[in-house]
Amino acid sequence: MALPSPFLSPPSKPPNPEPAKPEEQEEEEEDDYLSMTFTDTTPLSSFSAARKKESLTQSLKRKQRESEVRAHPKSRRELAEEEARKREEALATSTLDPQSKGFKMMAKLGYKAGRALGKPGEANGDGGGGGGGGGGSGLLEPVAVEMREGRAGIGADAEKKRKFREEMEARVEAEKRVKVEEGEFRERRRLEREERRREGLIRGAQAVAERLDEEEEGTGEDGGPGESAREVVGGKKRTTKPLSKINVLWRGAVKQRELAERDKRMRYDLHQSLSRLPTYEDPDEDQEDRVALGKKDTEEVDRDLDGEDDELNEFEALDSVEKLQKLVQYLRERWHYCFWCKYRYGDSGMDGCPGIAEDDHD
Amino acid sequence: MAANRSDFHEGAPAKRQKTSNGNTDPRNNPYLQHMYPDEGTEKTSNGYNTPPRRMNSLPGSGPLARFQRHKTTAALARSAEDGKTNPFTGQPFSERYFSILQTRRDLPVHSQRDEFLQMYQKCQILVFVGETGSGKTTQIPQFVLYDDLPQLNRKLVACTQPRRVAAMSVAQRVAQEMDVKMGEEVGYSIRFEDMTSQKTILKYMTDGMLLREAMNDHDLSRYSTIILDEAHERTLATDILMGLLKEVVVRRPDLKLIIMSATLDAQKFQRYFNDAPLLAVPGRTHPVEIFYTPEPERDYVEAALRTVLQIHATEPEGDILLFLTGEEEIEDAVRKISLEADEMVREADAGLMKVYPLYGTLPPAQQQKIFEKAPGPRKAGGRPGRKCIVSTNIAETSLTIDGIVYVVDPGFSKQKVYNPRIRVESLLVSPISKASAQQRAGRAGRTRPGKCFRLYTEGAFKKELIEQTYPEVLRSNLSSTVLELKKLGIDDLVHFDLMDPPAPETLMRALEELNYLACLDDDGELTHLGRLASEFPLDPALAVMLISSPEFYCSNEILSLTALLSVPQIFVRPATNRKRADEMKNLFAHPDGDHLTLLNVYHAFKGDAAQQNPRQWCHDHFLSLRALQSADNVRLQLKRIMEREELELMSTPFEDKKYYENIRRALVSGFFMQVAKKEANGKTYTTVKDNQTVLLHPSTVLGQDSEWVVYNEFVLTTKNYVRTVTGVRGEWLLDIAPNYYDISTFQKGEVKTALIRTQERMQRRQKMKGGSR
Repeated sequence: MALPSPFLSPPSKPPNPEPAKPEEQEEEEEDDYLSMTFTDTTPLSSFSAARKKESLTQSLKRKQRESEVRAHPKSRRELAEEEARKREEALATSTLDPQSKGFKMMAKLGYKAGRALGKPGEANGDGGGGGGGGGGSGLLEPVAVEMREGRAGIGADAEKKRKFREEMEARVEAEKRVKVEEGEFRERRRLEREERRREGLIRGAQAVAERLDEEEEGTGEDGGPGESAREVVGGKKRTTKPLSKINVLWRGAVKQRELAERDKRMRYDLHQSLSRLPTYEDPDEDQEDRVALGKKDTEEVDRDLDGEDDELNEFEALDSVEKLQKLVQYLRERWHYCFWCKYRYGDSGMDGCPGIAEDDHD
Repeated sequence: MAANRSDFHEGAPAKRQKTSNGNTDPRNNPYLQHMYPDEGTEKTSNGYNTPPRRMNSLPGSGPLARFQRHKTTAALARSAEDGKTNPFTGQPFSERYFSILQTRRDLPVHSQRDEFLQMYQKCQILVFVGETGSGKTTQIPQFVLYDDLPQLNRKLVACTQPRRVAAMSVAQRVAQEMDVKMGEEVGYSIRFEDMTSQKTILKYMTDGMLLREAMNDHDLSRYSTIILDEAHERTLATDILMGLLKEVVVRRPDLKLIIMSATLDAQKFQRYFNDAPLLAVPGRTHPVEIFYTPEPERDYVEAALRTVLQIHATEPEGDILLFLTGEEEIEDAVRKISLEADEMVREADAGLMKVYPLYGTLPPAQQQKIFEKAPGPRKAGGRPGRKCIVSTNIAETSLTIDGIVYVVDPGFSKQKVYNPRIRVESLLVSPISKASAQQRAGRAGRTRPGKCFRLYTEGAFKKELIEQTYPEVLRSNLSSTVLELKKLGIDDLVHFDLMDPPAPETLMRALEELNYLACLDDDGELTHLGRLASEFPLDPALAVMLISSPEFYCSNEILSLTALLSVPQIFVRPATNRKRADEMKNLFAHPDGDHLTLLNVYHAFKGDAAQQNPRQWCHDHFLSLRALQSADNVRLQLKRIMEREELELMSTPFEDKKYYENIRRALVSGFFMQVAKKEANGKTYTTVKDNQTVLLHPSTVLGQDSEWVVYNEFVLTTKNYVRTVTGVRGEWLLDIAPNYYDISTFQKGEVKTALIRTQERMQRRQKMKGGSR
């Protein structure tokens, strides 16, 4: 007790001179405490004869249930939701039960279920504020309890509901659209992926075709003078065959490679060229100077690289599927090579290759 | 007295005196007159010590010689009023009387005195409509006095008011106007305070008091005329009184009845009173321009602040009235507006703006500040200052503040609604009615043409607001009312002719509760206990607890507790000093609960240390002196009733271990229907029978270790809360209220299981006892 006792003494009247009764109560109360702890822990059947008592299993079950509840405490939000749910449910449920005491008392006065209270016959009040209705003049249901959340102004709820509805509709629309777009996107990505893969395959096939072609030139027509000279530049084989003579199937690849190489060379030259552009023609320079300076005569090739090549353009304009098909076809016919088997067969029968398409090679 | 009132000037209407003269003395506000009771008023305790003095009861002599009852005219009355001698006291009129008389004659009602008298004389029931400021509350009763001459038949004129404060204040004002001593010819009667004597001929009283009088005098035979003022407010007691008086006027053709109302709903009153004639007096009002927002507001408080500041920045001189819903919201708004307004002064050279809060629980000294004059310009020729009052709907009807030109109305108020289905009192922010909105707007036109800013769209006004506010009878717990009606001799409660009959479930609950409290038997007849309980101006549960308390040897304590539960909150918890306030409260905390804590406070308050300087002591301990004094007074009144009914006053010795336990048991005897049991989760409680999940209100001192608690109230604010709780034991419930705790009537669930176990324990114990003997 936090207060000094004089504050707490009862204000008036001398103490009740009847101590017997409270003391008796007190004794009872002490009994109470004893028996409480006693019987709670050990179920003594002798004391429970009068009334059916929960059995040991029942009590164990109950305790288990209770401890389960305790072990999974509900979150504050869950509790609040439960509270609100129970409240709304009860508020929406009529308590007019003809069996209840209160109803019976009203029935004695002539009340019949479904009727309103008030003077019978006429309706004098006009609802006291929008209420009313029903047989008599009074309300049939209690005034509703409505909880508002937040500080939305009057009409904002209706407005919000309207906006919400509109938003929902818009969202449904948008979702549909998004789904369509999503499908398209996936398809596009797939196609792009396939395109990239096919281009890789095309490059691979071109390399194979070029290699086979060169191998044949190198072995089969060896000794053909001047026809195909070989140089080794930077450890790389390089044909000096004019581009127009190369099979259009892989001419593009060669052209790309040579363009890249020229680019590299020009950059290299730029570094070496004493700050001169490689194409700079020094009038004082003669052929010897050029050789001495490491300048090569690349003009013809360059012209070849820069020139228009209708045949190549036509091929490049083809769809990748067709390009690949043509390459594969070429390899099969010319070299009995199956691009998918990665194997060069001995004859045109190409025994052992499952077929011309990639799908045949799974 | 006269010296104190020398600031009364002639020519100005009484109610508007302050502003029109620039005089803000609240002494002149008729609604605040009760705060100056010492001036010229001596309490005549029920007039026991004043011998009857009916000097003017002899017709044919004195100033009223030519007066014939119900045949007078305005001119005749005027001559008597202008005479030298007060016709009601026989004393010469004072100087001040004449100065007030001048102002009275400027009131709008005065011009229709003849018209009023003719209708009054002709009809038994009259509906009188006058807007605020018409002077009806102070003048009509006096008009009646000069014509009804109640003193001739040893009767009285009664004028009811919905609020205690109004009854006191208006009585004080009218006593001055009539130049009589308060409590003699003019008096008032409110719950727990009777300020009348045998000389009283005009009695202002709360509607509840007249209802209580009717309980012992079904025909209200003491009165020759009854005036129900502010009937448009539709308080519970006014509604019941109207139903009752509708029957009484049939039995008593000599009784006259005047229903006074603001303009709203006048036809409804006429219709209810069998097409009674209507007299309307225009108020003194100016047009008010109404503005709506183009779009609904997302946050009405924020919108309100914005609007107030905008008015301050752009509108010409004139005070602002902003309606918000509750104390916290209001205090917060006051703070924010003040800050912003100060900034506007610094940065935009705006005028000064004083901001005041106004709500019911605000201490009266602070309430009075709203009558202070608006600040003037900061420098000569500068922009004038203004005041802004942020109020609950107190300022809608009950308090009149002059000088308001701008009203900001977000359209909400906090409303109490009782729901019988789960027996909860909800206190929720809800939209006001159209009638309310009109009333609010009208507040802007008291001084000059004004503007009202409604923070909702015109469409929302038309579609979302109900026509009229639900009258109290539709949103209250009726158990008290049903007990009163029974006592009033109304047996057919189902067909009682109320203006707006409540929902059947509300009546059903009330009957059920009274039956469990043993105040009504199964046939709905009053029992002895019920009759006794109706003698107390208390809720039935409190009355029953008080009546049963001698059985628990603690009637002294329960008497104190009942008084404490009947007054406003005694603990003060200012927003600025909550921690300290809580520490102080903890000094009194009793571990078993809030009821016992209240008792501790009261006992300490009555102790010597506190009584040496109660004001200081209360201030130091964060307690409301007003509430405690009022509890003291209520206790005294209740004690008188107990003595009259021969209920023994006793206490268990404080040293006895059972001292507190007996009090807790007595609590159960009245509040066994307001019990909750702790749920398995250990945090929440379930209300017994209605099975609602509730939380102990954060203000409780009770730790969460009590399996069962009784609560004083179940309120719904943001959550389900039970407030003022004390721990009890399951055994007591079964023991003290076996009817209610008939286990077979309970739904399956935790509560039922717990009760069954408790019952088994009790039976085992009894057996053991029997065996040991």
